[in-house]
Amino acid sequence: MSWRWFHQWGSPRWFYERAGRWQTVSGFIALILLIVGTVWGLGFAPVDYQQGHSYRIIYLHVPVAFLAQAMYAGMAVCAVVLFVWKMKIADVGIQALAVVGLAFTVLSLVSGAIWGKPTWGTYWVWDARLTSMLILAFLYLGVIGLRGAIAEPEQAGKACAILVLVGVINLPIIKYSVEWWNTLHQPASLKLTEKPAMPASMWVPLLVNIVGYYAAAFYLVFASMRAIVLHRERRASWVKEVVGRA
Amino acid sequence: MPEFQFESLAAFFAMAPHGAFVWPVYFLGVVILGGLTWSMARQHARAIRLIRRNIEREEFDESET
Repeated sequence: MSWRWFHQWGSPRWFYERAGRWQTVSGFIALILLIVGTVWGLGFAPVDYQQGHSYRIIYLHVPVAFLAQAMYAGMAVCAVVLFVWKMKIADVGIQALAVVGLAFTVLSLVSGAIWGKPTWGTYWVWDARLTSMLILAFLYLGVIGLRGAIAEPEQAGKACAILVLVGVINLPIIKYSVEWWNTLHQPASLKLTEKPAMPASMWVPLLVNIVGYYAAAFYLVFASMRAIVLHRERRASWVKEVVGRA
Repeated sequence: MPEFQFESLAAFFAMAPHGAFVWPVYFLGVVILGGLTWSMARQHARAIRLIRRNIEREEFDESET
């Protein structure tokens, strides 16, 4: 098996140019799917017999909650790549994912709190799922703060990677919190291994939005990574060539 | 073909009695996603400006020597 595809990621120029195309494609897919999925979910999916229209928050809450965790897992993969292969792009990935991941985590917490009011009668309870998601937000904040606190970029990258790897323990806690403890939060709405409890008219728009939000996340992370690469490599000759062309 | 679940557009926007919960969530989503997109584009434009300024400075220094 050829590892060429993997080692190409070590070249900032290769990444910058390719990511520009990936960014455009993912942005276009995100725009189309998010419009279709959101309009479908808000206007065309049937009303829930128990929760009424408040359940329509699911079409934003579930995708961003998935992404909040997936982005942390992505940071952990980058941290491993940084330690094993010492690829600079992995550190760029951690830096970009931390900001976008924090935004998705905050959106997940706030949308969940707003959904909680009509469903549970309260915006917040210290239950295991909500608390572990709040810890995830603090982990993202910690990674962003740690990078800002260390002046030397290489040291900052390593310190952030260690914090990311330590924080990975929170991911299974988030996932299994609804099974390990008695929580107000319901179990997962969609599972890869089981038939959804919802009818297709409800979960198909949800699936469209999940793919749409993933595409949006790719768009945002690629956009951020390209800006960071450009800034870090600003003295390199290829950057001057690329900027001269732009 | 899925059917529109509301009798009118007014009923859709009211989403009674939960419109006050549903719409702010989507508004916040648009603000956060839009804000991130704008912020990333600005970050990229700022990096390009900085590099252009460095190139101009180097060219000026070369012409001086």
